[in-house]
Amino acid sequence: MATQTAEFTYAVPRLTPERAVTWPKRTRAQFANGLQVVLAEARAIPKFHGELYLRAGNAHVVDRAPGLAEMTATVVRTGTSQRASRQIEEDLRRLGADLGTYAGQDTSAISFAGLSEFAKPILELVNELAREASFPEAEFERERRQKLEEVKLERTSPGFLATERLRKVLFGAHPYAQISPSEAQVSAYKREDLRDVYREIYTPGNALFMLVGDFDPEAMMKAVQGVFGKWEGKKPVEKKATAPPKLRGRRVFLVHNPGSVQTQIVAGCHAITRKHPDWLRLGLTNSLYGGAFNSRLVMNIREDKGYTYSPRSAVHPLRQHGYFSVSAAVRNDVVAASLTEMFYEMDKLRSIPVPDAELADAQNYLTGVFSMGLATQDGLLSQFSTVELNELPADYLETYREKVRSFTFADLLAAARKYFDSANMQIVLVGDRAQIEEQAVLFGEVEVCDTQGNPLE
Amino acid sequence: MTQLQIPIQNATLKNGLRVVIVPDTTAPVVTVGVYYKIGFRLEPQGRSGFAHLFEHMMFQGSENAPKMQHIKLINSSGGVLNGSTMYDVTNYYEAVPSNALERVLWLEADRMRALKVDEENLRNQRDVVKEEVRVNVLNQPYGGFPWLDMPPVAFRNWANAHNFYGDFADLDAASLVDVQKFFRTYYVPNNAVLLMLGDLEPGEGFALAEKYFAPIPAGAAPPFADPAEPPQKEERRGYVEEKFGTLPAMAIGYVMPPRRTADWHAMALLDQALHGGRAGRIHRELVLEKQIAVEADGGIDDIFGYNGPAQMTTRILHKPEYSAETTLAAFDEVLREVREKGVTEDELQHLKVKWRSDYYSTLEGGRGGYMPRYGLMHLLACFTLFDNEPQLVNTILDGFLAVKREEVQAAAQKYLRPKNRAIVFRTPVKSDAKEAA
Repeated sequence: MATQTAEFTYAVPRLTPERAVTWPKRTRAQFANGLQVVLAEARAIPKFHGELYLRAGNAHVVDRAPGLAEMTATVVRTGTSQRASRQIEEDLRRLGADLGTYAGQDTSAISFAGLSEFAKPILELVNELAREASFPEAEFERERRQKLEEVKLERTSPGFLATERLRKVLFGAHPYAQISPSEAQVSAYKREDLRDVYREIYTPGNALFMLVGDFDPEAMMKAVQGVFGKWEGKKPVEKKATAPPKLRGRRVFLVHNPGSVQTQIVAGCHAITRKHPDWLRLGLTNSLYGGAFNSRLVMNIREDKGYTYSPRSAVHPLRQHGYFSVSAAVRNDVVAASLTEMFYEMDKLRSIPVPDAELADAQNYLTGVFSMGLATQDGLLSQFSTVELNELPADYLETYREKVRSFTFADLLAAARKYFDSANMQIVLVGDRAQIEEQAVLFGEVEVCDTQGNPLE
Repeated sequence: MTQLQIPIQNATLKNGLRVVIVPDTTAPVVTVGVYYKIGFRLEPQGRSGFAHLFEHMMFQGSENAPKMQHIKLINSSGGVLNGSTMYDVTNYYEAVPSNALERVLWLEADRMRALKVDEENLRNQRDVVKEEVRVNVLNQPYGGFPWLDMPPVAFRNWANAHNFYGDFADLDAASLVDVQKFFRTYYVPNNAVLLMLGDLEPGEGFALAEKYFAPIPAGAAPPFADPAEPPQKEERRGYVEEKFGTLPAMAIGYVMPPRRTADWHAMALLDQALHGGRAGRIHRELVLEKQIAVEADGGIDDIFGYNGPAQMTTRILHKPEYSAETTLAAFDEVLREVREKGVTEDELQHLKVKWRSDYYSTLEGGRGGYMPRYGLMHLLACFTLFDNEPQLVNTILDGFLAVKREEVQAAAQKYLRPKNRAIVFRTPVKSDAKEAA
């Protein structure tokens, strides 16, 4: 059922009947060693995209050091018992493949893509990295020194500084508060720590192997079994994390970045994970608030007022806790004005029901954009991964559109009231103190720190 | 490897508008693009940044779709939209569920026929563009490096050498008269190509193109300034302050051969040899082996999409304990080796496999997934506007896969010379750089 845009009476062509959205069939298996496998065919190009996920990341090992899972992932690609770093990189090129190793808060991963004609040797290389990484001393030392320069550099990016501060404020003693290590912490990284993390996290009992592309699923399943079937290892024991703080009242955290010619604003509050029953309702509410180009916030502070180029809002679904945030980089003299509009649009959604036509537009937007992922191997992989990693219902993709279309103005009002926690938003401003502090104090008690996180008077 | 057989159909309307259609039923989605053959290279003198500012104005309303309705119509149809300004083309594109195809074409035709904007729209977008420049350039570490720093150092013709984002004074001076004049001059159907890719019947697509675009009158053929550069006789160097970043940086750019020449094919593989990720010689030597640099990457920017002087650019951020001279010497050593020894036969074969693999991904890929088939659309548009031959998408690979070892080395010797390059040094103001021991 397609809904027409209400306000148009003249020449706009109507939408023709919608064509069916069919998600490709997934072929699944769970091997005796615990490895979970999901394969799907998508033959637009003679390639495939894959991902080997390990269900633990930086948060799991933060008690040892922030960023340790990421450092482990970085060094994983630099050597195995069979191949030196240079050999790995040249083999990838020879096979027409790309490969990345990384870790986020909740997962570590080896991500790869390559030509179907070389599927087997690429799988073998991924297997080798997952099972036989050797953490050569010289490679570790180089990557550690490299990381030291990177952590210095990231403190000069307003976007990084804003996110880092917000996460510290929202999550306190919970692992999600740490998005990056300090220089001292990187200096203290030990090769042995990385090997421990690797042994603990990179196990089949903890892994999910996904592959989307140009191949025959049945034959590919046999190949995957042949390559990964003998891998051994158990799922690591989950750790209990300290609860994030309960935050009452708006507060302002100003990160003084001298010489800024613009202010990076980000404001946030706790929300929910993807598994929560309100997830889709909140997603729809967010798309109407600031999650789409024609959302209220973008129309207001960009298209009407010209305060900013890049306003947006988002719900961030970490595995244990989600949070909601709204952000914009604005010129220095309209920091207060921008915040006022951000709160105005939030409060309006909390107070006044969304008109039917606008609701229908937002539903069309979200359900339409959802199908874009069908068109590329990468898009499919990402949608399937979301379902598997978050243990969502098996029919999540198939029923998504129907669910989004079932929501009413009352659902949106309830979601905004519950999760757009306007009165308790934590506000971070990254900018030049002298230019913006007078505006900052209008929104709550102000705490000022420098770009290193040291408190300033 | 079998020949690509993408089913490309094309036609030209009476008003000169080229139409290219590629049916593909993988997903119930169509991607629509309109490319105009005008980019920031040829914007008017005294109006730096105007081509990009104008691109913003194209979202501000047309005769039947006033301000805000344009964006709203696409989003509320379940689609996404954007535009971008490049050296020689400007594009506008949408990805929508296929049931919104006709609506998208109506909208694109409406703004090609009758842009309708006022002073208030211009003031608003001038402000938005200034914030765009601040967030991407003025308030970012290494903002605009090297894409804005390099042109004034490397080139002498204003077309290639000016500030493409625009000096704020020039943005302020831009008037509605400029907007309408630019629109009438360059945004004519005979200077554009319309592309439709995805879930549609080609016959239906051509009929809709005829219905909505054929009534738009052709304009005079736009005048194009000559972007040719006077011959370069010396290495050029420039210096820029880095206000925020902690590491000294440099960019080295070499002028490239014209598109679709034998040298161009060879340079593409040479670029893969030099810049192909962690296996690329520059990253390998500077970051992994000598450990002088923290980042060393680059390449030929938009290899299919330039229609004037272009460069292969390497961007290096190096450790403060190494001097710029030491870093440049290490870079030069990599280039000297490839000039003297070329690449091995094995290496060339590997480069070709990777190039082919990357080419497939370019065709499929869509700006991080939100714009399916963006890559294919871009190539079709450039091959249509510059070569009048969209079918090149299916055959262009052959030239790259036929490159011989000696051609790679010859290209290195001909193009990767100091007299063919420019270097920009971007040095932190708060540098604690020391000379290497």
